[in-house]
Amino acid sequence: MIKIVIKDLKLFFNDKGSMLMAFAVPIALITLFAFAYGGVGKGNKSNKIILQVSDLDNTTESKEAIEQLDSLKSIQIKLKDLEDAENAIKTGEASSVLIIHKGFSDSLMAGNVLSLELKYDEAREIEIGLIQQSLIPTISMLPFRLKGSKNVIGKRFVKMTGTEDLQTQQSIQNQLDNLYDVIAKSIAESSQSNDKMKNPSFGFYGEDMKMTKIIKAKNGNRIGLVQAVAGTSVMMLLFSVVGIGLGLLDEKKEGTLKRLIYSPIKPGNILLGKMISANIMSILQLFIMFHFAWLAFGLKIGSQLPGMIITIIATSFACSAFGVFIASFAKKREQIQGLSILIILAMSAIGGSMMPLFFMPAFMQKLAAISVNYWSIQAFFDVFWRNLSVTDPVFLIRILILFLIGGILNAIAVVLFRKNILKLV
Amino acid sequence: MIEVKNLKKSFGDREVLKGINFSIKKGELYGLLGPNGAGKTTAISILSSLLNADSGEVFIENLNLRTDTNAIKRITGVVPQEIALYNDLTALENLMFWGGIYNVPKQELSQKANELLQLFGLEDRKNDRVKNYSGGMKRRINIAAALLHKPKILFLDEPTVGIDPQSRNLIFEVIEKLHRERITIIYTTHYMEEAERLCDLIGIIDNGEIIAEGTLEELKKNSPVKEIISITFSDMNNDNYKKLKSFRSDIKLTENIVHFYTSDAKTELPKLVSFCNQAGLEFNNIEILKTNVETIFLNLTGKQLRD
Repeated sequence: MIKIVIKDLKLFFNDKGSMLMAFAVPIALITLFAFAYGGVGKGNKSNKIILQVSDLDNTTESKEAIEQLDSLKSIQIKLKDLEDAENAIKTGEASSVLIIHKGFSDSLMAGNVLSLELKYDEAREIEIGLIQQSLIPTISMLPFRLKGSKNVIGKRFVKMTGTEDLQTQQSIQNQLDNLYDVIAKSIAESSQSNDKMKNPSFGFYGEDMKMTKIIKAKNGNRIGLVQAVAGTSVMMLLFSVVGIGLGLLDEKKEGTLKRLIYSPIKPGNILLGKMISANIMSILQLFIMFHFAWLAFGLKIGSQLPGMIITIIATSFACSAFGVFIASFAKKREQIQGLSILIILAMSAIGGSMMPLFFMPAFMQKLAAISVNYWSIQAFFDVFWRNLSVTDPVFLIRILILFLIGGILNAIAVVLFRKNILKLV
Repeated sequence: MIEVKNLKKSFGDREVLKGINFSIKKGELYGLLGPNGAGKTTAISILSSLLNADSGEVFIENLNLRTDTNAIKRITGVVPQEIALYNDLTALENLMFWGGIYNVPKQELSQKANELLQLFGLEDRKNDRVKNYSGGMKRRINIAAALLHKPKILFLDEPTVGIDPQSRNLIFEVIEKLHRERITIIYTTHYMEEAERLCDLIGIIDNGEIIAEGTLEELKKNSPVKEIISITFSDMNNDNYKKLKSFRSDIKLTENIVHFYTSDAKTELPKLVSFCNQAGLEFNNIEILKTNVETIFLNLTGKQLRD
């Protein structure tokens, strides 16, 4: 029995492929997913949510407010012109912009509703929820940190009651004068405490922030559905096209590639044929996936059909090229099969197929740009969520990048095909 | 028709073809006979443009293989040693595909494919997927796939390996039919019976060299050996071998079998048996082989074709 154990262990440790799959691949995946899910580091700057702020009021009070927001641990403030900030939301670069409207200072001093507005992309509602959680307590406490805050808060209380009776108004002011010192002390203590439960939020100011969806589902599509369909379709397409690509290696093994080379057909045309068939299969697969989503889950395609077709074609081109590219790396299927699964899983994880990108740290979101998944999913979001037209430069750039990726991968595949796959004897 | 001049090919340090020469006239069936690893498949791979030769020249129908590769490919058909078919396609679909890549017009191709299916006895099974075929049936389709574009020249690389006698006979009949139709054929094999039955000319290849060539009659006539006495001994050690060598110096040993080359076995055999008895050499079997390709090969190389 011991001999069998020793023999099996020897076989295992002598098999490089098994060692790779048992140790190296899981380590690589754990590392990747740890970074992707933000499980590495100490909750530092890279994990902060970026909040664009557009200060239209430009007063001492508005600057004071921005300073206080910037001191929050969970948010990183980026000051921007309103137009730039809105464009960044439209292109998916940012989730939201906090607009401090003109008159913010006056409203604050007069105890009126604060002129604040958060414009956001509904697609990123989880991220917006996190921003709201951080913003509301800070906004609520803004008046307490101002000079003459006692007077300001008194005015606010009076406004809230809606009374026009001067005697009642005076009475409210008097009662607040008595309470203010207690409240101010509590705020001072809370500012030194990390315990959120002790942090008084005074919701009556928190509700002053107007929430405006700058991007919303004009065609009625649900964001989760778009994410699920686009993310999954692209990931599964990658698996399919790698299968088609690996078919080249099967043809080599089974001798049909040799037989093709006996014929007058040019070797380049064999690869081209494989590429074209992979493209047709990919286009068909994506069409079926999106039509399934339409029939089963009510994905609204309607007027977005041209954009969808363009995105499907661009995605198919890039993914097919990836499939042939992966296959052309190896001389035998066994050499590349496991590795291709690893590459697809990694690309899908960082590219947003497995979960929305905003869950990931900022550097992983930047890294996403190296994956086919990212550009394809973003293009599908442009079509089904952001409602961008097919002539919108943002959409066109994504499509162009997909074609560019496909072109580069195809070019490399042609070179490797001659080097690796055509070596038949 | 086919002219091969001083063809050489090496893989790394291993010289697989050491400058082979042969020529074949139109309509001839040339058998390249040799054991595994002799260089037959390499030669066919070069002739069918799968490999480039290191040196030497090949002319087919006055076309130079190096410069007129595509023109040569259009007039040649290749039956590879392995079964190179798409298992998930039917026989008919396979034939339509393989004919299609030679740009045979669809109607003509369909007619030719059905003719070949009938010729190879597979018409009833033409719509079955190839993966459900027996080895022999696959071999037949493998050959049919090389005939769809009506090639003038056919390369057959060991087309009968591992098949049943029925399929083998059918394949022989088809090859004989093609030969009658004056298609020029190069046929590689390590079965001497196939070479003897089918080939007009036989080139015996070993270690990358053609060591004898001619018609079967010429090979027999030119061979100094007319008969071989093969004796299987119970124990053939060095001492026993030396004893036998003292009786005849031109013997050859293969495992426990000792081959004695002679022009008259009838006279030679009693002397040999008597010597063995006197020397105390026990034997289990005696066989007298008449001159054939196998004996010629054995005489030339000391090896058997199946080695």
